[in-house]
Order: sequence, then structure tokens, then C-alpha cells
Amino acid sequence: MLANSELKSKNIFANITQSKFSTFLPVALALIVIWLYFGLTTDAFFSARNFYYLFLQSTVVAVLAVGITIVLLLGHIDLSIAAVAGVGAAIMAVLVSQFGMSAPLACVIAIFTCILIGVVQGLLVAIIGIPSFVVTLAGLLGFQGVMLKILGNDGAINVRDSFIRGITTETLPTTTSWIILAFVILFMIYNAYINYKERAALSLEVESIFISTLRVSIVTLISITFVWVMNSYRGIPVAIVILLCLTLLFSYVTKNTPYGRALFAVGGNEESARRVGISIQKTTIYAFAIIGGVSALGGIIAASRYASVSYNAFSGNLLLDAIGAAVVGGTSLFGGRGSVWNAILGALVIGSLGNGLDLTGATTADKLMVSALILVSAVAIDAISRKKGKKV
Amino acid sequence: MENMTNPHLQVCGINKSFGNVRALLDVDFSVRRGEVMALVGDNGAGKSTLMKVLAGAYSYDSGDFLIDGKNVTINSPTDAANQGIQIVYQDLALCDNLDVIDNLSLGHEPTKGGIYKLLPKSLRPLDMLKMTQKAHAAIEKLKVKTLRSTSLEVGVLSGGQKQAIAIARAVSSDSSVVLLDEPTAALGVSQTAQVLDIVSTLKKSGHSVVYISHNLKDIFQVADRITVMRLGEQIAIYETAKITPQELVVAMTSGVETDSQDKKDLADAC
Repeated sequence: MLANSELKSKNIFANITQSKFSTFLPVALALIVIWLYFGLTTDAFFSARNFYYLFLQSTVVAVLAVGITIVLLLGHIDLSIAAVAGVGAAIMAVLVSQFGMSAPLACVIAIFTCILIGVVQGLLVAIIGIPSFVVTLAGLLGFQGVMLKILGNDGAINVRDSFIRGITTETLPTTTSWIILAFVILFMIYNAYINYKERAALSLEVESIFISTLRVSIVTLISITFVWVMNSYRGIPVAIVILLCLTLLFSYVTKNTPYGRALFAVGGNEESARRVGISIQKTTIYAFAIIGGVSALGGIIAASRYASVSYNAFSGNLLLDAIGAAVVGGTSLFGGRGSVWNAILGALVIGSLGNGLDLTGATTADKLMVSALILVSAVAIDAISRKKGKKV
Repeated sequence: MENMTNPHLQVCGINKSFGNVRALLDVDFSVRRGEVMALVGDNGAGKSTLMKVLAGAYSYDSGDFLIDGKNVTINSPTDAANQGIQIVYQDLALCDNLDVIDNLSLGHEPTKGGIYKLLPKSLRPLDMLKMTQKAHAAIEKLKVKTLRSTSLEVGVLSGGQKQAIAIARAVSSDSSVVLLDEPTAALGVSQTAQVLDIVSTLKKSGHSVVYISHNLKDIFQVADRITVMRLGEQIAIYETAKITPQELVVAMTSGVETDSQDKKDLADAC
């Protein structure tokens, strides 16, 4: 009786905002507003060339943001990501330029070393019980030191290896991009259809067809526009392909596997997770191992982008930009809520602000202040929505 | 069906100390199939300690633990769960950020087989269909009528609904004993009625229910027998129909004479 009246009073808007798909709405709206503003106030913003560099520029932050989302879901934080990224990049650079190792092997070694770093930090958090904030703050300082040590007196190593440089300079052939996109869209439609049919056959509740169609159309529209814009300049850089594959993988892990449920459960209610037999320690250690590996990957992409590994590149804004991107994307600092795809949108918000303000000739002072405003608003939205959730 | 008058779960002569404090003294306790056994006592009487011993959360110092007359060893919550004993704590311990389906499968989610068997268990794709069906079955079993959808986040549900979900989680695995710790303490009148309905449903489906509460009204409405604890000892077992709330309060606060006839008749022999 209660059920029916409530269902009827829901209009389409409520339908959309209440579906789980809707968490990206605030950050997507923010991005659209920012793009419209800079598009209208500057000439250069709405050009394929600018978007190409905007996306490429945001890739490193996005990779780290996607990674840190995993740790944030768990209710922890990792302040060492930028420093660990620097260590990974430095190891790779030294192995390639001073030991003449092949670049792919050097990348693998760098990534595994950083996974190990993550495991150690995870052990300190999960087994010894030190708050992650403290462990990774120590990590931030310590690994900046390690990075300096590896880089030597100059504090920088140039990277001219064609494999490494290719990550951000090579692009997918335009036809390949279109073919991959076609497959992705077909797969998505097929998946939605099969899912609908299976659930309907068992007479389980199904997502309304309107919402499913809307979701598939929005994703299709965005990806077609993206491929079209990138292809009309130079194509999709390899780095962005890596970012998308990584995000796809993490999206699967966080949303569709028992490990993902464990992440959300531990972040939402640790006691509950413990009682149903989830190992808090293992879940935590794995998460820190993942962020270690992802940091190294981010570091390698940054080395490719700047053609060098320098102390300054990994000790500046990178850490705060990455955490900011995840939070702007709607991932809660309090754990248990968030999405890896939104982290990319968050990284674009941060990247677009930087890019747009550069184009309008704003100073670093302006950029810092605007970034602060965006970050505070994002966390405020998070805190308010948490309160709302509790009240009911 | 098995003999309904033999105890399903029984503990005999359980002792438990915390340092110098003796929390449980030679406690005998039992519950039959299809029975609601209330566990009452003033604060500090040892109810919660006994409950935690039954759930495997505390190990006991000495005594016997029997399921259907057979000795078993219960040293951890996992042991208890393997014997079909499930506990619903007062704080429920649900994840507010996950939906009803996720909460009901949490910790033992069904995953897809086939080629996915190559992946480690925690990285295999969830079998959402099976999870959803499982959730629906659990909810229907308890006849929770007010729940609009199983894909709602638990955080937005009412207290009674949350209690129902917590109980559903306990009984959705193959449990035969359900321990409920103050299930109505935080609930209003209609939600309390809803939870008591669920307790009756559990009883009808042959579960043994152990019901801790301070609310005598609820107990007289739902319990078949009442075990009274005082200062770490089990001092009496009554049949609900044969006692008044006043007598029960007297027993809880000032004890009963040790050779009370009520007790001898109703206790299951150890």
C-alpha cells in the first residue's frame, strides 16, 4: 500500500537523481559550466588542439585520482602517491638511461617496486594500526628523499627513450579508435539488453527502460564526441588509452567483484565488514598495493610527458590535484562512497580550470584560489549529502 | 521434524571469568526448535556474556556446548556459524552505503563460474542475479511488507526495516539458531510490532530464537519460555504462560528460592 503511492509520486527527475547512475551529475555539471565559461570568454578554449592538450595534461592527475579512489573508498588516505610516483619514475629513468635496460622491463620493475612500497605502507596501517594519514605523511617525506637520492645531485634525469616518450607522443590511428569505439558501444548495448532480459525472465525488478536508454545514450554521445575531437587533431594519445583501460579495470573491480564490495563495506562500516568475515587487514593491504602500482604508472606517464624525471615535478601540486580530483568527482573522504569514472571527470575539472585560467592570463595566485574554492565546495557537497543520508 | 521438546542448542555448567570477575557461574541454558526463549536479567546479570558465548564471540572457561545432544566445540564466530548459530547485535552492523541486496550477501557473495574460475575468488564477477534472488527469498521468508525495493541503500530505511534486514542476513545462511540482542530497543510501536511478527515467523519456520530484551511487554507477547539471570547465575526458567510480569520482575531483582518448583520442571536436563 505504502509502496504504490510512493512509486506514483516519483516523477522522472526523481527517477534519475535516485538511480545509482546519477552520482556523476554534480561533477559533470561543474565541468560543463567551466567549459562554457572559458569557451565564451576565450577564443582558444574550444579547439580540438586545446582539448587534446587539456586531456593529455590531465592524464597523470587522472591516473593518480583513479588509484586514490580505491584507498578513499576504504576510508583511508594516501599522501605519498606523488612521492611514490616520483620514486617509480626515477627508478625507471635510472634503469633506462644509466643501466641501458630495455624500457618495458624498467617500467615493470618500477611498478613492482612501488607495489612493494604500497604493501609496506599497507602493513603499517593494517597490522601495526598506525593511521594511514601518518604512515603516508611519513611516506611523502621519506620517498621524496628516496627520489632525490636516486636522481642524484642534479635532481633531474632526462628521458629520451622512444618507448617512454611514445606513451604521450604516439596516438592511436583514427580508424582504430573508431573501430574500438564501435565495439565498446555494441558491447554496452548488448550487455544492457542481456541484463534486462535475464532479470525480466526471473521477474526481478528491472531498471526502467528510460533510465537504461538514457545511460547508454549519454555514454555513447560522450565517447563519440571525445573520439571525434581527438581525431580531428592528432588522435587519442596512448597515455589516455592506458588511463581508460585502467579505469575500466578498476570500475570492474570496485563495482562487480567481492573485493569491491569488501572495499565499500570496510569504508562504510568496518565493524559490519568484520562480522561478516571480511578480512579488514587483507582488504587494506591490497588497496595500498594497488595505489603503489598505480602511482608508479602515473609517474612513468609524467616522465614521458615532460621527457624528464625531476624532483620538482613530483613534489608540487600533483598530490593535492589528485586527491582534489577524486573528491571533486564525488568520492567521499569519509569512505564508502565514490566512483573511479568520476575521478576522471574530477581530474578534468581541475585540469580545465588550470588550462582555462592560463588562457585568460590569470596568475598563479588566481589559480590557487579558484582551485581552493572548487575543492571546498566539493567536500561541502560530500558532507551535506552524508548528513542527508543519515537523517532519513 | 525432530522432537520438538528436546533442546536443539544447550549449554551446561558454563563458567566464564574476566580476570577476577566471574561473569558466568555454572550456567545451564537451552532452547528448542521452533521456540522463542527469552533471556532476561538486570544490568550486569550476564545476559550479554552468555549471548556472546553462544555466538562464539567469547570462549568459555569450562562447560559443555551441545547441538541436538552432541558435544561441539565453539571457539569463534565462524565455529558458531558453521553450527547454524547466528547473532544479530543491537547495533545491527549493516553497511548504510550498500543496498539491501549487497548487505544480505556481504562476505559470501555468489560469483560466476566457468572461465572466471581462473581468477582469484575475490576478483570473480558477482552473480548479481543470484544475489538478487537470494535477497528476495530472504525478505519474502520474513514477510517484510513495507520494503519498497531491494536496491535501496540501507541508510534510507526505517529502524524496523533495518532490523528486519539484519535478521534476514542472519537467517539467509543455513542457520537454525538466531540470537537477537535487544531487537526492539530503538524502535517505535508499529516497527516493534513488525519485528515481533518476524520473530513469530522465525519460530514457525522451526528456528530456535534466543531473545534478549528489557521490554517485558515484548517478551510476554513473543516468548515461549523465559530464562532469568542474576549476578552471573541462571536462577530460573519459566513458562511464559504460567507467570505474571510482576513475578518476573521480582525474580530478576531479588532472585528466587533455590528449590523453586517452577525451575526444576522447565529446565532441560543436562
